Amino acid sequence: MIADHEAAPPIRSFRDPAGTLFHKGDQVLRQVNADAAGTLEAFLRTRIAQEATECGKLITSSRLSECLYEHERVAFPSYPYEWPAEMLRAAGLLTIELAQKSLDEGFGLKDATPYNVLFRGSQPVFVDVLSFERRDPLHSAWMPYGQFVRTFLLPLIASRHFGLHPHETLACHRDGLEPEAVYGWASPLRRLMPPFLNLVTIPRWLGKSGEEPVYQPKQEASAEKAAFILGILLRSCEKQLSNALGAGSADSTWSNYHEQKSLYTAGQVAQKETFVREAIARARPRTVLDVGANEGHFSILAAEQGASVVAVDSDPVVVGSIWRKASKQALNVLPMVVDVTRPTPAMGWRNQECASFLDRARGHFDLVLMLAVIHHILVTERIPLEDLLRLMWEISREYVLIEFVAPEDPMFQRIVRGRAQLYSHLTRARFEAAASERFELVRSEQINGMERWLYLFRRRHANG
Amino acid sequence: MSRRPSPLLTLINMVLLSVPLLLVSPAKAYGYADPGSGAFLYQMIYAAFLGGTFYLRKLLNRIWGKRK
Repeated sequence: MIADHEAAPPIRSFRDPAGTLFHKGDQVLRQVNADAAGTLEAFLRTRIAQEATECGKLITSSRLSECLYEHERVAFPSYPYEWPAEMLRAAGLLTIELAQKSLDEGFGLKDATPYNVLFRGSQPVFVDVLSFERRDPLHSAWMPYGQFVRTFLLPLIASRHFGLHPHETLACHRDGLEPEAVYGWASPLRRLMPPFLNLVTIPRWLGKSGEEPVYQPKQEASAEKAAFILGILLRSCEKQLSNALGAGSADSTWSNYHEQKSLYTAGQVAQKETFVREAIARARPRTVLDVGANEGHFSILAAEQGASVVAVDSDPVVVGSIWRKASKQALNVLPMVVDVTRPTPAMGWRNQECASFLDRARGHFDLVLMLAVIHHILVTERIPLEDLLRLMWEISREYVLIEFVAPEDPMFQRIVRGRAQLYSHLTRARFEAAASERFELVRSEQINGMERWLYLFRRRHANG
Repeated sequence: MSRRPSPLLTLINMVLLSVPLLLVSPAKAYGYADPGSGAFLYQMIYAAFLGGTFYLRKLLNRIWGKRK
């Protein structure tokens, strides 16, 4: 008999019939069925798999038994609906690169979704090793082509042409955007121009023709011809991905904030940098969360001092710029589009396929940075001060560095927009009193000539 | 001795012959990722076109090779 409130078992991955991924304590394990185990083992022995693993592009796998593998754990998982367009493109380029290289070894990808990729810092790593299957050398079709278009190319097109960023489109559509949806957004002229013509308009016409496609890869007359066709198709996907972001990066309210739009003089920026550097030297954090990272100035500073940094901001344009900088310098910074006042919820079947941002963040970070962001959370989002401090206390394992912006600060005044009465209680004395409930003050300093103070706090462990 | 067809005619023939053949091949379940409908048909037609260019390239290589 089934009980009314029978607890559901923990979720294992379930879409690929070849195997399932699950967690056991800190271990990431993959149970593979007997047929797939032979294919997986053969793939892992190929030159491409070994080279890709060595250079960090493919997750490391060790065989524990005939059908059980253990994978390296990626320190902080991020999901496609938390990536800026730049990261989605990087994940797509890695997918295509591995698909191309594995062709020569007689393997192909059976799916092509961004969920096959995670990021180690700023570098993408392909994690779903079961996606590789032996390919029939006479088949010229790339079966996951449609999925690749839906989950990589069309979200990137929506981002570039309609300002709909991946964190908006992919949060609602696990399997990406259908050509029909994008067709509806495009003007009649745009529908006839590349890349809309071949990715959106023709597939929509063909889909509407009433002709049900026959889902069988075409058998070509020779392996050479099949490889020729497949090679060109993959190169064309690669080219479309490369062009997907356009020539220049977009501008937003918060882009170039640090350099051009902020209130700080060079001396005040230098003072903040010194305070943060000294705090990091003291805290020696292995993991740092930078809340409201903007263009990542302080995330990069922390990474340069050896920390593994997660940089979150609600603006996908600035998060994209952090990724470009971090990726170029191969810094250990994972940028994510996350609004800490509306953090990513748990997603997927039973809300258990992808953990919420807070479930991943709680207790993960040695140091949490909140620089020039607290007034936006308190005023714009109207989050109570005590609640905000409680959340920082939950996320941090040890230290929190907060820049307090007083109501007299011009930026604070600007966002209050005449509602000063509502926020007059947010004084420095009130902030210090509320913080002392959960943290010990390590040191504080006023930024010269500003109504802003920097505080380094240490978490009180006994408080609940 | 029959004349060799022009490369352009070969290409057009390949494309025109391949499309109807694709639409009548037998159905078969394959893989687990949804291949889409329009995107799949588009890929088949694109593949047929590329198949034509494959033969065209071979033909040109043969002609080029003989002249050399």
